[in-house]
Amino acid sequence: MKRSRVLWHLVKADFLTRVRRTSFLVTLAFAVFLGYQTFAGHIVMQLDDYRGVYNSAWVGALMGLVTSSFLTLVGFYIVKGSILRDETTRVGQILAATPMSKPFYTVAKSLGNFAVLAAMVLVMAAAALCMQLIRAEDRTLHLWTLLSPLLLYALPSMAFVAAVAVLFETLPVLRGGLGNVAWFFFWMALLIGGIAPAMAHRGTPGNAAYFHDFTGLPTMMYQMRAPLLKVDPTFHDSFSLSIGSPPPRHRFLWTGVQWNAIEVAARLLWFVWALAAALLASIFFHRFDPARERLIRARTAPVERPAVEELSAAKELARADPWSARLTPLPPASMKNTFVSLVAAELRLMLKGRQWWWYAVAGGLFIGCLAAPLDASRSGVILAAWIWPILLWSQMGSRESRYATGSLVFSAPHALQRQLPAAWVAGVIVAALTGGGLGFRLLLARDLHGLAGWAVAACFIPSLAQALGVWSGSSKFFEALYTVWWYTGAAHHVLGLDYTGTVATSSTPGLYLVLTAALLASCWMRRRTQLAYA
Amino acid sequence: MNLSIENVGKCYGGRVWALRRFSLELKPGVLGLLGPNGAGKTTLMSILATITRASEGKVTWNGTDLAADPNALRAVLGYLPQDFGVYPNLNAQEFLEYLAAVKGLDAATSRRRIDQLLSLVNLADVSRRPLGGFSGGMKQRVGIAQALLNDPQLLIVDEPTAGLDPEERVRFRNLLSDLSGERIVILSTHIVSDVEATATDIALISNGALVAHAAPEDLLSRIEGRVWEWVVPSADLNAVKQCYRVSNTMRRSDGVHVRVIAQDAPPGAQPVVPTLEDAYLDALSLYRTGTAA
Repeated sequence: MKRSRVLWHLVKADFLTRVRRTSFLVTLAFAVFLGYQTFAGHIVMQLDDYRGVYNSAWVGALMGLVTSSFLTLVGFYIVKGSILRDETTRVGQILAATPMSKPFYTVAKSLGNFAVLAAMVLVMAAAALCMQLIRAEDRTLHLWTLLSPLLLYALPSMAFVAAVAVLFETLPVLRGGLGNVAWFFFWMALLIGGIAPAMAHRGTPGNAAYFHDFTGLPTMMYQMRAPLLKVDPTFHDSFSLSIGSPPPRHRFLWTGVQWNAIEVAARLLWFVWALAAALLASIFFHRFDPARERLIRARTAPVERPAVEELSAAKELARADPWSARLTPLPPASMKNTFVSLVAAELRLMLKGRQWWWYAVAGGLFIGCLAAPLDASRSGVILAAWIWPILLWSQMGSRESRYATGSLVFSAPHALQRQLPAAWVAGVIVAALTGGGLGFRLLLARDLHGLAGWAVAACFIPSLAQALGVWSGSSKFFEALYTVWWYTGAAHHVLGLDYTGTVATSSTPGLYLVLTAALLASCWMRRRTQLAYA
Repeated sequence: MNLSIENVGKCYGGRVWALRRFSLELKPGVLGLLGPNGAGKTTLMSILATITRASEGKVTWNGTDLAADPNALRAVLGYLPQDFGVYPNLNAQEFLEYLAAVKGLDAATSRRRIDQLLSLVNLADVSRRPLGGFSGGMKQRVGIAQALLNDPQLLIVDEPTAGLDPEERVRFRNLLSDLSGERIVILSTHIVSDVEATATDIALISNGALVAHAAPEDLLSRIEGRVWEWVVPSADLNAVKQCYRVSNTMRRSDGVHVRVIAQDAPPGAQPVVPTLEDAYLDALSLYRTGTAA
């Protein structure tokens, strides 16, 4: 009883801490936006050229799958950081001094994460209700049919995401930016791992397929297949949930998921996996041990001078060694405001802490761009070269907030006019250096269009990083968005989304030049508001 | 050199006034800003350091309004905030080099200055160690060093001795005294002994208002002949606390030595030399009970 009360208060405090922040409103706004996009028909679920009549079954399934597919990706980035918050606020050290066990803490943190994600599911449930009533193709509400996909598809997936976020935070390698990038690929693996058996079996799944299904997409397809085959025996087993596709031309009536014990058990098993992930996290959780928190420790012991406890003795010591005797006044000409030295300082700050292998890989990518055939270089190697420094760029704009150095940096003269552009230039230099091999090749090949695209991209990436950093005060937003953008847009050379601009068929340098300017302007405006006197 | 604060106020969230109608005129010397927690000291410091903008009133530096030209002050400002962070991957040398560049110091000057400052704050031996491994007191010393990078004319230090060991604390106090001749130093603290050792002027602040602004000697003279001390049995201590404004108690083998501030001598009490702590407590108490200090 007592333990459940402690657990309740831990989760409650964690939840309240988050919901009272502006970022929670942004989170809910995102859920509302996603709900609206679904409602407005911009997110389409279809089987061949069919969609279901907007009754409780179809609307519930649509919202459930949108939540378990898209919100699980975003939800991770939203909830990751709860342990870090306890660390930075020093609440963690207070908690560590209590009898609370490590598994208890990681489970409580997972539940706190889950509560936030569940609030988003609640918004989607409300959106589902509105959608059915406003679309008015079938106004008869069947609450269980409407809400069961959200309860049994979305919630278990969200529980798993909530616990994995805690697990990532406890693993030293994944707790930072690398974890944010890795999550996208892990999420992709979960998605594909669920869909692959369905693709292999084409409508006749074995029970194992249900247990691999993270989002519920293939399970739902099995459920819809039979009713559709009655309407259209030529149905080809194609099923998609997509954004921005043209609406399907035909409708069919679907009455909802026929839940059986295997399906329900498969869905509930994700709660068990979530618990397992939370417990696994407890093994790696260091319980706010400062010795473990500081990854970078001196190799040698610090030179400690003996402590002088007696103030009178200290006074004597100090009197013999006046501080100011060693300070010489600065000549007036020493304040030169050299922008170049500030850029160099920003660049040093950005690169500091990288190991030799980081430079080795960056150098290898530079040479790869230079040595590979031009087509391979512009469509392949450059992608690797411009994802490799992601964790350098993601610090831009948010570093002052993350390390609480804002008061030191922003009280310097002309902080807006000097420091912000200097940091941006440093980011561009990183892009130009890592992708420089290709730039050089394009110059030699006199491919001016390609070169323009390359140059705009080298400016666009740090602009995006700096704008998102300044606005969000965190590196997470850029790490998540850039990874998704890189994979969906650049890696597949999608017209309009390929920011690298080096492949003629997908290059739109003009668009990205405008975007770069807009991002820099927004970044400038935001930083102006952060500085009391810009 | 002149820093003028005219009717400055700061309101948070449109409702809570952390500072109200605050006016002060500062000349070279050390101003000790004393006040209880939540008095508005840090808010005032942030306004003077151009970190936050005043909701009302005006701050001028040598006649230049900070709202119009904050860089006039920033170029000659050294600021040590109460809470500040460091970049854990950088070492002390690199961190100071970075901030020197941000402050606009040229490379050669900043190198010399950083060497001097690191030696001054006793961090020369560990200047190549990443800041992530520094103790709180060592980070504080890095903070002190960065505040002195540009040889500031206005030095604002908020709780600077927090986390310092006694020796470093005394050394820092001496530094403030030595620096004060040719610049304005504002020292915010609730450690009265720090102010006692360094301040040429004292501003008492409570509930966002200026309670008193005077030289330490003036503040002390106000309670001259009103501080008393005597020994009471432990059992009588509560009764004494009910009747008098107690500034200190100390348990000894002969009983409890009680120090009180009172107009007339309590029975058996002897007059003692007042300290700044007595003056501080008296001024705050008078302000809270509505009597002008």
